Amino acid sequence: MISQKKHALKVSREYTQANFAWILSTIVTMILLWNSFSFKEGNIKTSVFYVFLIYAVFTSFQLFLTWKMKRDLLKYGEIQTTTRKLGYIQLFSIATANIFTAAFAFNLIKKKKTPEYVFAVYMVLTQLFILAISSFNLFKPYVTDSFIPAMGALMLIMVFQIIMLVLVAKYVQAGAAPSWMLIPAILLIITSLTGNLFNLLLGVSLIVKIRSHDQSRIIKWNTMWDKITRNSTAILGMFFIILLFSLSVCSVYTFDYDMAVENNYGALLQKPSLEYPFGTDDFGRDLFSRIIFGARISLLVGFASTLIPVVIGGFLGALAGYYSKRADNIIMRLLDILYAVPGILLAIAIIAAFGANTLNLILALSVGAIPTYARTMRANVLMVSNYEFVESARALGSSDFSIIFKQIVPNSLAPMIVKATLTIGGAVIATSSLSFLGLGVEPHIPEWGNILKIGSTYLESHSYLAIIPGLAIIGLVLSFNFLGDGLRDALDPRMD
Amino acid sequence: MKKSLLAILVAVVLVLAGCVNTKSDVSDKANDKTDSKTDQSDVVMELLGMSTGEADMNIVRDQLIKNGFQVKLNIQPDYGSFTAQKDAGNYDLALSSWTTVTGNPDYAVRSLFKSDGDNSIMSDEEIDKLIDQASTETADQYTDTYNQLEQRLVFDKAYIAPLYNSFKAQGVNKEVLNVDTVRLAKSRAIAWESIDFVDTAKRATDPLIVQQAIGTLTSLDPIKGNDGSINTLNTNMYVRLVNLTDDDVVVSDGSLSINHAIAEGNQDYYFLLRDDINFAAITDGKAVDSGERVGADDVVFSLNRAKDKDSVPDHRTYSLHESMQEIEVVTDLSELEVKQSGSDVTVKEALENGLESKITELVEDKTAADNATGKYQVVKITTVNPFPQVLNYLAHQSAGIVSKKQVESINTYDVASFDVNKDIPYGDQNTVTEGDKYNNTLYASGPYILSHKNDYEAVFLKNPAYMPGTENEAKISNVTVRFIQDADSSLAALRNGEIHLFNGVPETKYDLVENESKLFLQKSDSNAVTYLLFNTKNREVSNSEDLRKAVLYSINQDEVLNYYQGNKKKAVSTVSPLVDTGNELVSDAAKVQEFLDAYKSTK
Repeated sequence: MISQKKHALKVSREYTQANFAWILSTIVTMILLWNSFSFKEGNIKTSVFYVFLIYAVFTSFQLFLTWKMKRDLLKYGEIQTTTRKLGYIQLFSIATANIFTAAFAFNLIKKKKTPEYVFAVYMVLTQLFILAISSFNLFKPYVTDSFIPAMGALMLIMVFQIIMLVLVAKYVQAGAAPSWMLIPAILLIITSLTGNLFNLLLGVSLIVKIRSHDQSRIIKWNTMWDKITRNSTAILGMFFIILLFSLSVCSVYTFDYDMAVENNYGALLQKPSLEYPFGTDDFGRDLFSRIIFGARISLLVGFASTLIPVVIGGFLGALAGYYSKRADNIIMRLLDILYAVPGILLAIAIIAAFGANTLNLILALSVGAIPTYARTMRANVLMVSNYEFVESARALGSSDFSIIFKQIVPNSLAPMIVKATLTIGGAVIATSSLSFLGLGVEPHIPEWGNILKIGSTYLESHSYLAIIPGLAIIGLVLSFNFLGDGLRDALDPRMD
Repeated sequence: MKKSLLAILVAVVLVLAGCVNTKSDVSDKANDKTDSKTDQSDVVMELLGMSTGEADMNIVRDQLIKNGFQVKLNIQPDYGSFTAQKDAGNYDLALSSWTTVTGNPDYAVRSLFKSDGDNSIMSDEEIDKLIDQASTETADQYTDTYNQLEQRLVFDKAYIAPLYNSFKAQGVNKEVLNVDTVRLAKSRAIAWESIDFVDTAKRATDPLIVQQAIGTLTSLDPIKGNDGSINTLNTNMYVRLVNLTDDDVVVSDGSLSINHAIAEGNQDYYFLLRDDINFAAITDGKAVDSGERVGADDVVFSLNRAKDKDSVPDHRTYSLHESMQEIEVVTDLSELEVKQSGSDVTVKEALENGLESKITELVEDKTAADNATGKYQVVKITTVNPFPQVLNYLAHQSAGIVSKKQVESINTYDVASFDVNKDIPYGDQNTVTEGDKYNNTLYASGPYILSHKNDYEAVFLKNPAYMPGTENEAKISNVTVRFIQDADSSLAALRNGEIHLFNGVPETKYDLVENESKLFLQKSDSNAVTYLLFNTKNREVSNSEDLRKAVLYSINQDEVLNYYQGNKKKAVSTVSPLVDTGNELVSDAAKVQEFLDAYKSTK
């Protein structure tokens, strides 16, 4: 009996998440504590210290919840309803932007979680973060002209999202969704134009459940997303990526680009404040705006320079794998030659020859990555083309082209997706490295590598100029890696 | 419950929205800059520069954009590719800088703006005339001429758009070096001989460690180079007829001459030579006295080859010395009985000023000279035209005195058919680089001699026969020059004690050095001016004066000074640090608009 309860503690996903949440929350709290002391003057910075206190309260409460869950699990083998009710209190930590405890609280209050519920929760969280981050602009002397209508629209969308969250929590079950949700689902897909891809995921997921009568398909869909959402780091990574993506889209209307590129000699090297949340750089440009606009280039280059080699490499790899011997040899040996040239050197050479701009940057980073995708695809195609369904397609007289691209490629995509997610991070780093070396985009354009470059010369006197873009790069790359890991776990059949 | 909460939230936001200033509200109030920016003009300026000037380029870009231009940046990683782009004419504006190392205004304009100057891309008769006129004038007369020159060059014709004049800053490790002995001169390179340790007992044992950015030395023959790789090194290796003080006054202190005098008419210059300097040579890794005195024949030889374009292949400094017509040894004492320029005393009396034993005899042979018994050597230099600023050029490192005997014995090749693969000229850096080709044939007339170098450092040894027993004798026996390219790395090396002296602390890092307890920051004016050079060929800016003026008045030097935290000074031209002409460039958005409209109407 006791061992069974211990087992319950071990397998409880919520307990693992609770631990994850309090550990990360403690780290953030400690960082805040460290920052609230001014070591030079030997006094306390009150504003930071208050933030620390608030965080400390929620972290302690998180610790208490974790302890209570452990007791419940050991005593009853499951988490008691009263404990789950306490989660509502922890929901308030969302006001402090503590994503770890807030996400956990949403998890705790609902006992039976569908992927749709998780999507809905993260959808609302993302929207909330976008609104909060954008509203920092209110402290500036002026906001961009489209700020108020844009914020209004974003808020209306959030109201809609919250309603959907409640509805999803109430009516959507693991196996089915009520059919009247079709119209809201379509609406959700439309609102995903703001860049909040959780809207899209939720919408698609609902439509799958409404339209599909094939239970096995629903179960497959559920298991895949279950695996991803169960993985705290993967879903957190996904949250961060989607947040940045959405910010990149919304910032067009809510942020003023001039603040990121125009020099302001009246506000050089300002320390972080409400008006300049991350301070200003040596040209008086608002670092906060620069980081936000910088995400756009990092994401664009990251995605584009991954997508291009996926398509080209995938195409070549599929041909090489299907037509063995001669075609295979010619394609792969040519790609081997390309593979032998170090990627970053190739990129530097291309940029030195054709000049530094975003398009060249994308091309330069893409070319070097083609061979690895071709190899991955070829290996998969070699395996898949021996399956019976391929043979039956051949027996039915399908053309080679339709066999490759209708039968084989769709069944070889999973490893490509995983590999792509993992290499986007590399592409983001490469972009920033090239900018740091002065080979990327023009120096005044907000790009994380550019920002870091300026920061590196002020590392001692104004360290935030280097730390913040550094953290942004680390955060995005880490997020892609976590998401990639999660996707691998979810898509790899051997992990079942 | 949740919905009502949201309703309240929306209401609050709407109320807040009422109090929010939008961009157009604000720009309506201020009603300029943002307007001109929105009407995207089609005047595109291509700005060429090096990555080291990225900050300046960004400031200029921002100012031009705010004044209705579009800017295309062309940033090159190094000086080589920058010059290649410049030669190809791929620019409207080139970010350029100039340092007048001789400390005289003529040098600051002659090679840059005169039609036949080495570095000139322009040709304007009026400017040529003003430059020539000013060169014949003395300091009190030329202020007005240079004022007219600036008017023409900058305000009337806008051939350049000035940005700023830099300071010179030097970080000294005051725990190791005696700060009072470290000089920081406006123009001249740093003199090592005066530098001393705090603990003077270490003079013979410990090296003085300094830093230099470039490790590839152009040439150790003084006339074959005029750049950052050798200026300091050759200055300390070869003595000159005269020196510059820290604020650019020409003096004989610490030079080969005891005194010098200008004869009436400003065309004849007399130098009374010392007899206590011998050339040093390197034998078995030690600096030894070669036994050969530095005398008048070496001076005549050195200056004649300095002014002769064909004396060596790759002569890089002859244009500085073209003003000299004749250099000769004076043996007739009566020749010194002419009046000194602008005074009643004779040249002889001027040369004898402060001497213990007066001049009784002038000798031709340098070994016969003995100052204690009144036997001296005198060198006379005659210039083509009256040109008092010739003295500044004589204080430049390229006028360093080399050994006639030694240079003639090494440079045996024929100049016209010089083969770089076969012939080894005097001062070739390969002869002092560690390895098979090492064969140090240098003869140094200055306080130090280069022993050997590699990619990492160069080692200098004290010349044992350089004014021994005087205050000009070198204090520290060994000097090591570390080659550290990057300013930030050099600063780090200074802070962790790897080097003792760092000349060239970046403006944004002054406070770091000042806050470090073991370091001392020396700051002084410098002659370095940064400006934008307009292309003079095949571009819109080359043809339209209006367009150039529109750019000129877009430049706001106050903002530049702001960026550098006040560690720069305003400038109008490369003459600004040397002559106070009273001119100032004031940015004026109205003028910019006016000139831009004028330019557009002619198109």
